[in-house]
Amino acid sequence: EDAERINSADVAVVEHRRRLLEEWYAWRAVTEEELAEEREALGLPEDPVAELLKAHAAAVAPDEEEKVIE
Amino acid sequence: MRPILLSGHERALTQVKYNRDGDLIFSTAKDQQICAWYSHNGERFGTYHGHVGAIWTVDVDPTSTMIASGSADNTIRLWEVKTGKCLKTWEFPTAVKRVEFNEDGSKLLGVTEKRMGHMGTIVVLDIDLDVNAEQSDEKSLTIVCDESKATVAGWSYLSKYIIAGHEDGSISQYDAKTGDLLYNFPIHELNNPVVDLQWSQDRTYFITASKDKTAKLISAKDLEVKKTYVADTPLNSAAMTYKKDFVILGGGQAAMDVTTTSARQGKFEARFYHKIFEEEIGRVRGHFGPLNTVAADPTGKGYASGGEDGYVRVHHFDKGFFDFTYEVERERANRLS
Repeated sequence: EDAERINSADVAVVEHRRRLLEEWYAWRAVTEEELAEEREALGLPEDPVAELLKAHAAAVAPDEEEKVIE
Repeated sequence: MRPILLSGHERALTQVKYNRDGDLIFSTAKDQQICAWYSHNGERFGTYHGHVGAIWTVDVDPTSTMIASGSADNTIRLWEVKTGKCLKTWEFPTAVKRVEFNEDGSKLLGVTEKRMGHMGTIVVLDIDLDVNAEQSDEKSLTIVCDESKATVAGWSYLSKYIIAGHEDGSISQYDAKTGDLLYNFPIHELNNPVVDLQWSQDRTYFITASKDKTAKLISAKDLEVKKTYVADTPLNSAAMTYKKDFVILGGGQAAMDVTTTSARQGKFEARFYHKIFEEEIGRVRGHFGPLNTVAADPTGKGYASGGEDGYVRVHHFDKGFFDFTYEVERERANRLS
């Protein structure tokens, strides 16, 4: 009987965690989608920093691309 | 792997911060210099001299070109990372307790201290990431905190909101363009200051740490509290790890503030919690005083903590850390693969 009780408590804990995980990822999916839509509506790049780094690299070493040796 | 001990400061640490690539760590302390370190081996990359008071805060722009710092000498300074050159100094009537760049490095906010005759404010400065450019003297925005002074603040996704934590334990959301207060909620216990605020990578949510012994995960859009992490000591700092769903809390009471006689008085440990399940999963010892600041490597490789003891400890996560998963997480991963 004890073992059964412990077992059902474990099941409850696991169920609870499973629910928390689902809720979290559901919220993340909605939030990420909203963010992507907002970014697009504002005409902003998906990853603002990637664009920035590209521009930065070009400014620091403008002839970088020409240096490629085949 | 053993932690790397960075011993370049002579006084208590105030903030540690990784750059976006995770290869550099910047640290500030109550002594008057900013240090930069290589995160993989702890070698010093450089120091930045000029402040004439305790330095409370530092941030690095997303391209690692510039850092900004705020100090008890009532200035915000902008520095070139590579050369250590001070590019600009802005003066304020009171100390600067927090600085943060927005997601594209075009704006910098500063939180100024409240003092007799001066309200606490959040100021916004426009930044030109060209090191040769003349930076503007003018503040592009000033938010006056007339209810309770701001202790920390940061920029949300799309630089849409400025989120601030206050001395009274509340959190505010301001329109980042107009400075209008949109929401103010009493999120932490009344009159328990919010002492840290750090962002998720996409800046849609953030974690706060408070003297009320809790850290909270909050949505930037509506200030909804998603998670609460309960500790047994007043907190100074909270960070989120990347790649793994953990949070790291730092705190502890200084010896002079400890009134109990328990054996483990100080509780000078970094505490790890599962971000989603809110359960404590481990502690890391090492500091001889409270942890004033914790930061996670944005590339997920490790974390750093800065203590009242004057040390920065850099930890690289080992295999056990990455392997640690709950059964339900494995289940989910298997289902998705």
